[in-house]
Amino acid sequence: MEVTYKVHREDSQNGGESSFSTYQVDLPEDATVLDGLQKIRDEQDDTLAFRASCCQGTCGECAVRINYKAQFTCTTRIADVTKKGPEILCAPVRNIPVIKDLVFDMDRFTWDKMAAMKPWMEPDDEFAPTENLVPESEMAEVRKTMTCYQCGLCDEGCAVLPVDFDFLGPGAMVKGYRFVMDPRETGPRQEERLAVVEQPKGLWDCVHCYEANGKCARGLEPSSKIMEMRDVSFKHGIKNEKVARHHNSFINSVKQTGWLDERKLVMETEGLTNIGGLMKLLPTAVRAMTRGKMPGRHEKRPGADQIKRIIEKAEESK
Amino acid sequence: MPEYDVLVIGGGAAGLRASIAAKRAGASVALLSKVHPLRTNSALSPGGVNAPLGSDDSAQKFADDIMNAGDGLCNPEAVNALAAEAAGEVVWLERVGVPFNRDGDGRIDRRALGSGSVERAAYADDRTGHMVLHVLHEQFQRYDIPCFKEWFVTSLIQDAGACTGAVALDHRSGRIETFSAGAVILATGGFIQAYRPCTAAVGTTGDGLALGYDLGVGLADMEMVQFHPTVYSAGRTALISEAALSAGARLVNAAGDTVVDAAGLSRAQLAAAVDKAGRNGGGPVSLDLRPVENVASRFPGAAEVVRLMAGLDITQVPVPVRPVAHRAMGGLDTNASGETSVAGLFAVGECAHSGVHGAGRMPGNTLTEAVVFGKRVGEAAAAHAQSAGTRSTSTDQAARDGERLAAITSGGSSGDTLGTIHRELGDVMHANLGVTRTDAGLAEAQETIRGLRDRHGKLRVGNKSRIFNYALTSHLELGNMLKLAEAVALAARGRNESRGAHQRSDSPERDDTSWKAHTVVHQQDGAPKLDRKAVSA
Repeated sequence: MEVTYKVHREDSQNGGESSFSTYQVDLPEDATVLDGLQKIRDEQDDTLAFRASCCQGTCGECAVRINYKAQFTCTTRIADVTKKGPEILCAPVRNIPVIKDLVFDMDRFTWDKMAAMKPWMEPDDEFAPTENLVPESEMAEVRKTMTCYQCGLCDEGCAVLPVDFDFLGPGAMVKGYRFVMDPRETGPRQEERLAVVEQPKGLWDCVHCYEANGKCARGLEPSSKIMEMRDVSFKHGIKNEKVARHHNSFINSVKQTGWLDERKLVMETEGLTNIGGLMKLLPTAVRAMTRGKMPGRHEKRPGADQIKRIIEKAEESK
Repeated sequence: MPEYDVLVIGGGAAGLRASIAAKRAGASVALLSKVHPLRTNSALSPGGVNAPLGSDDSAQKFADDIMNAGDGLCNPEAVNALAAEAAGEVVWLERVGVPFNRDGDGRIDRRALGSGSVERAAYADDRTGHMVLHVLHEQFQRYDIPCFKEWFVTSLIQDAGACTGAVALDHRSGRIETFSAGAVILATGGFIQAYRPCTAAVGTTGDGLALGYDLGVGLADMEMVQFHPTVYSAGRTALISEAALSAGARLVNAAGDTVVDAAGLSRAQLAAAVDKAGRNGGGPVSLDLRPVENVASRFPGAAEVVRLMAGLDITQVPVPVRPVAHRAMGGLDTNASGETSVAGLFAVGECAHSGVHGAGRMPGNTLTEAVVFGKRVGEAAAAHAQSAGTRSTSTDQAARDGERLAAITSGGSSGDTLGTIHRELGDVMHANLGVTRTDAGLAEAQETIRGLRDRHGKLRVGNKSRIFNYALTSHLELGNMLKLAEAVALAARGRNESRGAHQRSDSPERDDTSWKAHTVVHQQDGAPKLDRKAVSA
């Protein structure tokens, strides 16, 4: 069948503006998007750059935005993306600097962030003569998480990365999860791991939009994994000091008055001795005050004692 | 110029393991890989990693089985090393994170790969290669080893007979760089992309074999090419682990009757039987996985890849299969420590021929080979580098490589294309150097390959950039494959007997008088020359 490829072109090294090239390609009905790109490079335009490796949906190398949806070129059939018309739009995945055409900067996008997870085990008994004894049910969970390709599709959907590129992103978080939840990493090892996951720009910077859940080609639900790790972190005691202060202030406020006192929350989160941080908040506080957004004081609300008992009960069962 | 004790070329399982071992042995190490390590062909190895972990098993039994499968061409020293060190390596893999499936006692579970074989393969569902690769990459990062990824090696450097480094092109910057090293390890994988269809990733183009061959290292047993018997292949390819057969899957015809009983067959015999059944007029052979209990959860990788590539549901319908080129057993001639005939040059993994597989590799031994020999060769290379004297690594060769690349990118369209030549090569390799061969077919293949080499020599790339110029690197890769294909055809034609993966319908018997020997192809004045070498006792 005759299809039209419209492909993003960019050559960042030469400072060129991005543009699109259009190619007419004749392909078999069951061809993949990758088949077409390869045919274009072979027969029409050998300057076209795109990545591919396994060609069978196993390695995660060929993620591209095809008709506005990020997916693998090697497993996407042209028939499935030309139902509304013969044009196939190929563009780099979002949230990421392009190097050339469909080749983007995986170092900054994924690899460096994965490395920030310190993604390796260093067991004391590394050279023990026999394996760890682990129930299959627990190992099966780790295996499922480890099917992660590290392809970046989840990061592509992330709502935080466009405004803060230094956020580690859901992909790196899944890598962290793989260790946090591994029954072979317990005690101090797990505590160290949680501290790594909770680094600034890490676990607590997710805005839980849950977009990543719908993006994973292996159904790993990265957003849910971030939330699960937060639960683990609560249970172990939050390692990130600022988040811990925020958490404690929140709980104490609700416990004492039944309300969330946002004035205290903001100041206690920043740290009452952190003069520089508090000064930065001053203009916001002034604006809030002049617009009547800041109440004089929070009276204890009716039923506050009951709320306090609920919280205490929850804390006991932690 | 970057200088290291040990330079590892190739980022798959063997290269990562070798890097870690060399670093642990105290060497300074860097790894060069044309793709990111997690995108290498090792990720595609589904079935398992063999190790004699069971109480009913032993290193001796394992070694005996390998020797048996190798059909007379194994090097016992390499086999014994593999069998003796496999358990330790697999336990180490578990300790550092591979989530192997467990038995009822929480120990590493084992299964048979292929019907009738011993339960010896430790496995992580049917994604063992993926899991092992990812964990090795984790450990590689732990040791903080510099990784030059998406660098394409254009040549090795030789000084006073010894290999002292390599020249490589950085895809990202377009820069050509000279790397100086006390020892170089080639871990670049096989050359199965010379076949069409094949089960390998696109980068499996034999680059390391060609680099070593150009330096004068012999290519041993190149005719021994293993076909995988249970591969869906119709435009796209999806490999299903043979573990499915031992778990109860059946090879059936269109009517659903069993056409091949896999019990007790070696992989070569099984491939031949499936190939023959497919030609018998009973319609295509299919793998019926429905008899396998909990097939979707036990073989999630197969379920996924068949759904993606074939659009079929393994729990509902049989999957058409045929034997497809899968794994080269021939490679750069090395000893059991990975040393080649060139001082300072080592090889490991699929690009190497240590004699550990002989004429027939046991399923599940690719990953075992990668880790056991990766460690051995990494340590041997570190020791070599530390004992080697001062070396000289000239940058002249980088300049020559630059000119060579400029010559390749000096042209426009001639009507011919890399894709066309690659397809024609793949077709002749499949047809004439496939499961069964004949002298006439091999002669024809030699002729065709010569013609393709001529055409390739004239072909130029229009893209003059060096930045992510995949047309340029494809040109180099295709040149490598053609060079190796010539050696495969020569060796296959020379070995006029049938043994292991090399089956000749015109010489159907095994001939121990003439051919209990390795074929070795050397390059002489740009042409391949065939010799034979005695099998070690």
